[in-house]
Amino acid sequence: MAENTFSPVGEKRINLKTTVLLILPLVILGGVIWLFLTTGGGLLLSQPIPVEALSVERTVLRPGHIKVTVRNAGRNDLQIAQVIINDAIWPFTTTSSAIIPRLHTEVVHLDYAWSYGEAYRIRFFTTNAIPFDVEIPVAIETPEPNRSTFLSFTLIGLYVGVIPIFLGLVWFPALRKFSKQTMTFLLAVTAGLLVFLGLDTLVEAIEQAAVIPGSFQGIGLIGIGALGTFFLLDAITRRQIAVGRSEASQRLMLAYMIAVGIGLHNLGEGLAIGASFNVGEIALGAFLVVGFIIQNLTEGLGIIAPVLRDRPGLGNLVLMGLVGGVPAILGAWIGGFTPSPILAVLFLAIGTGAVFEVVYEIAKLIRKDTARQSMPLTVFSGIISGMLMLWVTGLLIK
Amino acid sequence: MKQLSRRDFLKTGGIALLSTAGVAAFSKMQPPSTSAPIMQMDHHNTDAMAMPVGEVDHQRNGFNPSDILTDFDYGTVSTLPGGRTLREYDIFVANKDIEVVPGIAYPAWTYNGRIPGPTIRATEGDLLRIHLHNDSSHPHSLHFHGVHPAEMDGVPGTPGMIEPGESFTYEFDAEPFGLHLYHCHAFPLARHIAKGLYGAFIIDPKVGRPPVDQELVMVMSGFDVDFDDVNDFYAVNAIPFHYHQHPIQIKVGETVRIYLVNILEFDLINSFHLHANFFHYYPTGTSLTPSEFTDTIMQTQAQRGILEFSYKYPGRYMFHAHNTEFAELGWTGEFEVIPSGA
Repeated sequence: MAENTFSPVGEKRINLKTTVLLILPLVILGGVIWLFLTTGGGLLLSQPIPVEALSVERTVLRPGHIKVTVRNAGRNDLQIAQVIINDAIWPFTTTSSAIIPRLHTEVVHLDYAWSYGEAYRIRFFTTNAIPFDVEIPVAIETPEPNRSTFLSFTLIGLYVGVIPIFLGLVWFPALRKFSKQTMTFLLAVTAGLLVFLGLDTLVEAIEQAAVIPGSFQGIGLIGIGALGTFFLLDAITRRQIAVGRSEASQRLMLAYMIAVGIGLHNLGEGLAIGASFNVGEIALGAFLVVGFIIQNLTEGLGIIAPVLRDRPGLGNLVLMGLVGGVPAILGAWIGGFTPSPILAVLFLAIGTGAVFEVVYEIAKLIRKDTARQSMPLTVFSGIISGMLMLWVTGLLIK
Repeated sequence: MKQLSRRDFLKTGGIALLSTAGVAAFSKMQPPSTSAPIMQMDHHNTDAMAMPVGEVDHQRNGFNPSDILTDFDYGTVSTLPGGRTLREYDIFVANKDIEVVPGIAYPAWTYNGRIPGPTIRATEGDLLRIHLHNDSSHPHSLHFHGVHPAEMDGVPGTPGMIEPGESFTYEFDAEPFGLHLYHCHAFPLARHIAKGLYGAFIIDPKVGRPPVDQELVMVMSGFDVDFDDVNDFYAVNAIPFHYHQHPIQIKVGETVRIYLVNILEFDLINSFHLHANFFHYYPTGTSLTPSEFTDTIMQTQAQRGILEFSYKYPGRYMFHAHNTEFAELGWTGEFEVIPSGA
């Protein structure tokens, strides 16, 4: 069989020699590692001063009690030696042990008579005298997961996600009356809206990535989440086109995809809202809510833009509204009851990927339209209008 | 006020929604006028106070603050021709890890392996010979507060500033009587003091002070364990909360004299407050007449003074810095006053 190994490239078979060639680098690698560990490879490798990292995942405030979930984000095990609250050394207990293994979490309990509305700084000193601080900007009792808080988070999600989108969908019958060119313009507006949302989601993902432990490589996680989602959705659409759907059903599918993209974006927003209860950021003002509804109204508009020339049916419209809005409720639940900064980064990354993929799909649709009828300024003005819409409504409420 | 991002806006919007939704669960979040006192009565252990978890290993540290209180070093005593008393002391400087609070070892610099260094005690007019041996990895010195020639001052440019491995003998007369201190004067000065190179220096008047039942030394200092030039912990005689965990026992009616020195680095002042009592205060101890009858005194770095008091009633009484931040970061102790018959 030896002569077969020199056979034309077209014939590919894994034989013994290929197997050996595959394994050989691994064997050499093993040797190098062994050599390095035993001799140091000529480098003076001393035990470095430990680089410790402790990140705070969650703080829970109950009357007379503060519970902080911390994660050891460093390279070695870490031990909490003392805890200081607002310049007072305070007795603490831990759920399992003050020694936290690498990447593990631990819950630190403090019997402390905190007062409503005041600010606290908790400092954790490790045995290597490295301080890690967590701030509670405004102390409020953390909502417990029960029926009424569950209902509250549901209501938040409803107001933030579902209602604005359905309000946007109500425009459907009126918008159908417009010309093809206007519909293309609206598609471009949607693309502009989505680019704006996509950038916003990306920035949030990057902000979140900055606060999670370095070992979780937040930026890498964004890359995986965003590009993974983008190419997965891309593959799904190509498959749908390959099975030879009609143009109308392709547009319907695009509308659904926009709904999915906006839904994932709203999931991230829900997470942020839910999680805000843990840091006690409070600001009252019903005008903020109203402004918020106005801004998210445009999301519903975006969903229906591709199917204005078709008859999607009420069922489809309702379903798309739910797909776009309900994730805000889910996000509020997750963020409110089990906030996880790492999960938030991933969700936000997925949202980013989904939103930009949908922009890509809309671009393809617009190109089809512009191939039929030349309208050079329609696309430009549409995209700019879409982005300006969010920017201006943003100005009103910030 | 910080700028609101869209995310912040979403959060605030969400919370606004919550409050407008008027869901019963969240009415808790509103501050009812009675909530604060009720919270403190119902949910707060009234015995709760600032306190570390665990206790430092005194054995491994090589010293115990309970012993430092009454550990006076009178030196090796001999009589010079002419009848004058000579006192000789050996002090070794060494790098040493000291567990300052449970679980945190501070890479300290020490005189004779302890913080504060030995309490050097002599009588006015004695001749003092202090042999300093530098077993550490940095140049160090002994700089005494007192009256002495320039070459005995222990500052850079004088023979008393010695390199690792070297020795030097400081020789001078014990004067004036009072409560003084000594510390390293190598630069950077703040770091050399903060690392633990300081101690009390008592010169008794020739006639002596009126006899008391207990004499105690307390050196107030702090530790900046993360080297940001801000103290993380405060204490008398180095270990935070030590005399809170191990109260100093005295009897009702017993007279107590405290030699109190402040060498706290980084903070401008320090103070001493005695609970449920007043004391006579002798600033720098250079007079036998007290200057004040009070329950709180203030000292800046290197200020010192002598306190005299006795307790009228049995019980446990706190003493602490009335810079309450220092108190809750370790500078808190207690006297346990026991009935005189006990």
